[in-house]
Amino acid sequence: MPSFDAVVVGAGHNGLVTAAYLARAGLKTVVLERRERVGGALELAHTVGRLAPSVVRDLRLHAHGLRLIEPPVRVFAPRPDGGSLTLWSDAARNRDEVRPWSGADAVAFYGFDRRVRALSGFVAHMQALTPPDLTDPSLRDGLGALKLARALRGLDADDVETLLRALPMAVADFVAESFESEPLRAVAAWRGVQYTAMGPWSAGTTAVLLADAANNAGGAAGQSTFARGGAGAVASVLESAARAFGAQIRTSAEVAGVTSSEGRVTGVVLAGGEEIGSSTVASGADPKRTLLDLVDPIELGPSLRWRAGNLRAPGAVAKVEMLLEGVPRFRSCDGEERLHGRILLAPEIDAIERAFDATKYGRIADPPCLEVAIPSLADDTLVAQGRHVASVLVQYAPYHLREGTWEGRRDELGDLVLRTLDDYAPGFGDLVVERRVVTPMDLERDFGLTEGHPLHLEPSLDQFFAWRPLFGHASYRLVPEGLYLCGSGAHPGGGVTGGPGANAAREIYNDWVRRSRG
Amino acid sequence: MAGRYDAVVIGGGHNGLTSAAYLARAGLRVVVLERRHVLGGAAVTEEVFPGFRFSVASYVVSLLRPEIIRDLQLPRHGLEILPLDGTFTPLEGDYLWRVNDHGRTMRELRRWSAPDAEAYEEYGQLMVDMARFIKPILSVVPPDPGRFAPGEWWPLLSLARDFGRLSDHQKAVFVQLMTMSAADFLDQWFETDPLKATMSASGIIGTFQGIRSPGTAYVLLHHYMGEIDGAFRAWGIPRGGTGGVSESIASAARSLGAEIRTEAPVARISVRGGRAAGVVLESGEEIEAGQVLSSVDARLTFVDLIDPSHLDAGFVDEVNRYKFRGSSGKVNLALDGLPDFTCLPGAGEHLRGAISFSPSVDYMEQAYDDAKYGRFSRRPYIDTIIPTLVDPSMAPPGKHVMSCFVQYAPYNLAEGTWDEQREAFGDAVIDTIEERAPNIRDIILHRQVLTPLDIERTFSLTEGNIFQGELSLEQLFFNRPVPGWARYRTPIENLWMCGSATHPGGGIMGAPGRIAALEVLKALKARAA
Repeated sequence: MPSFDAVVVGAGHNGLVTAAYLARAGLKTVVLERRERVGGALELAHTVGRLAPSVVRDLRLHAHGLRLIEPPVRVFAPRPDGGSLTLWSDAARNRDEVRPWSGADAVAFYGFDRRVRALSGFVAHMQALTPPDLTDPSLRDGLGALKLARALRGLDADDVETLLRALPMAVADFVAESFESEPLRAVAAWRGVQYTAMGPWSAGTTAVLLADAANNAGGAAGQSTFARGGAGAVASVLESAARAFGAQIRTSAEVAGVTSSEGRVTGVVLAGGEEIGSSTVASGADPKRTLLDLVDPIELGPSLRWRAGNLRAPGAVAKVEMLLEGVPRFRSCDGEERLHGRILLAPEIDAIERAFDATKYGRIADPPCLEVAIPSLADDTLVAQGRHVASVLVQYAPYHLREGTWEGRRDELGDLVLRTLDDYAPGFGDLVVERRVVTPMDLERDFGLTEGHPLHLEPSLDQFFAWRPLFGHASYRLVPEGLYLCGSGAHPGGGVTGGPGANAAREIYNDWVRRSRG
Repeated sequence: MAGRYDAVVIGGGHNGLTSAAYLARAGLRVVVLERRHVLGGAAVTEEVFPGFRFSVASYVVSLLRPEIIRDLQLPRHGLEILPLDGTFTPLEGDYLWRVNDHGRTMRELRRWSAPDAEAYEEYGQLMVDMARFIKPILSVVPPDPGRFAPGEWWPLLSLARDFGRLSDHQKAVFVQLMTMSAADFLDQWFETDPLKATMSASGIIGTFQGIRSPGTAYVLLHHYMGEIDGAFRAWGIPRGGTGGVSESIASAARSLGAEIRTEAPVARISVRGGRAAGVVLESGEEIEAGQVLSSVDARLTFVDLIDPSHLDAGFVDEVNRYKFRGSSGKVNLALDGLPDFTCLPGAGEHLRGAISFSPSVDYMEQAYDDAKYGRFSRRPYIDTIIPTLVDPSMAPPGKHVMSCFVQYAPYNLAEGTWDEQREAFGDAVIDTIEERAPNIRDIILHRQVLTPLDIERTFSLTEGNIFQGELSLEQLFFNRPVPGWARYRTPIENLWMCGSATHPGGGIMGAPGRIAALEVLKALKARAA
């Protein structure tokens, strides 16, 4: 039986990050991927601006081919009535864009931007930390708390107060404290609900917004950083980095279970029956899949199994990818430049909330909120001259439909998205050469995401920081001993950050050193 | 002028009266000033129609603190709480009826779902354990996280120690209670839709949130806190209506030497040299006092009653930012008989407890959706009791009063005004009841409809919020009633807050009034020393 110091389950971006770090530290590491290629759900992401700078640096991703494209436009938000709001990386330009909507907002924009940056600066500190184990706090947890306290002291008293108030707040309230114009409120609030099954009036969505702004130059406008070659190209960059450090990567190697004996991990068994020995297994799969499908229920015990079964992963996002034979023409868009960033079709807070309401009753939102990216406008490596690729995130499309199945309603969703796009950009549909609809059911089946949740677990207050994924298991250590969680289901959560992967690798290495000494 | 007082209390609601009683008990010369002709604030009984007396606003006693009952000897001053038995949820062609009798509730739940009946016991025990753990927080003065004062955190330390003693499972559930929505929390145990809807309804009372809004699970605990108060029944209705609670506290306060004046509306708080020095009544009368305690909400206290020049602009911004968002209304009915439910006909025991119109989780959410977009719920959640079945003195013989708490009724309407929509709102309530009890229209003798606007006007509750401030997560504990000012003190020396606006908040609990008074006494003692 082959044996390794560490086995990583799943070659999504977090699995690859964990493997790269472990290999870099000298552990003999193998990554096992069910699919025939690496990257997991990375290919579905629009932007990659949230990649933790420490991960990019430590793993020398630029040397492995990471090329970032940062168009000056961050987000273009057209409205059904023809108006639009565009936010740029340039503060002065933003002031001019906002002024026609509200003079007061143009003035408030600077303060809001500063506030988001200050608070998310603190959130970035939190993200880099292993959450304390509140069931049994250790000295190291105390040190972590001190680090956080020091980061807190970097904020002024007003920001500290705002932070404590803002984290559990509904993002609709948070933006309304600064802005009066609907377009600006909606654009700022969107990032608090993106990829979630929450609406802007759900408590805790401000924390999601602040997490989105952590570790990047997004601020109030949000980032629009694309990877050359598409988000999927980041997968080959990570793969190359991991291999360079000595990690092995096997594709088409589905892990069927984690083997264990007397409460300790002994390795994994593949779907074909092959066994691989290791005292350390890091799972990049989501926590429900990991705990309920891969681990022996006897090892897990009834209480933990009950809690794992109740983890919430209500997927509500679908995706439509399209090949276009031209650049779509949005009403109120005076030049192609505005289309280089994110294009957001969610004109008002109420429009987002109404779209969210549909999830509560198992319906597809009509009209849905759409975030569109046309990365080929700024990246000519993606598709032949004259043609373009457009990728559309669709919210809300709940995994659990009350009527029909996703198989039966796939085309209906595709048509709905095109109809909605046509409202904003007449003639959009005529440009479509090919389209592919990825429903929540596809996300589950093809990418292994339970209930199709792109963030593995809902980023809600009950699955946050020291209790993500589960209270008592936020330090990446699961049951049985030697099993770790290194994917988006762990702190700091989903998105293309590499944060969970890097943090988990740190804890795994610490334990490994301790064990090899003892 | 009646000479100088040691303390003046603005507002004669149950909290203001409680503060006054505690201050008088410590020997202070105290006066309570109430704007209306009756005492009690929202805990008031009024004869709205000849012969029919109503708990006009607040209608059940939730968690009246046992130490207040004991300290002020309230039973001696006429307090008597009558038990309310059970919750009856009428449905189309069926019902869900839970009562205090454990065996009967089990049989009823088993009729719906055997796993739910089994989970109900486990869940109940867990909630009792949680309630026992969390209860001390109701007596804690919140610390101020914006400054370094280790002493303020001391009381929380014992809570942290207790937390350490919980099992890992209990700890995890505690975190869920603090962060989850009521419906998501209950989903972990139960599958019966009307059960989940009715139980989670208690999580949204008085708030502008839905049962699927994160942060509503915590209130589920309140129900269990009452049950562990020992001999005293903390849930129920006071004899003579909720005004009975206020009257007994007022009587206790008077016997301890406090002076209580009604129809004495305060126009402003006098501030001299940065200190509160008394109040001026609308009549022009000046009342001097060493300490001023305000039991009205923060908006009224700092925006309406104080000249802004005395306050820092940043502080006033915080006060104005504080969310109120009243979300509920009340319909009080004088009845010629009893409602007859199609699903369980007759005047049975099921009418003696709460009657909850909360048939399903979707129904509750749809009611909330209406409110989110500025309309009152077409089919609202209604929590109804018929007090005359346990306290016949509330109506003439053979007649009844019925109290309907209605949600949602947003203070800010998208279209029209509440004055125009009052009757339509009342009709929506009656229509909803009529679907389950078709005789209701025939037996109504009189009806009183209170919209959030009426609640604001009558009871001086900003935007009609019955808890003096929305109970969202970011407005609790050290952020209540204004971030940084949760310790009952205010930026103006000698001015204190003592109402539901402060920790631990609303309901007929009396805790804010008591803790505030004790803080005042502590400060006076420190100054004297």
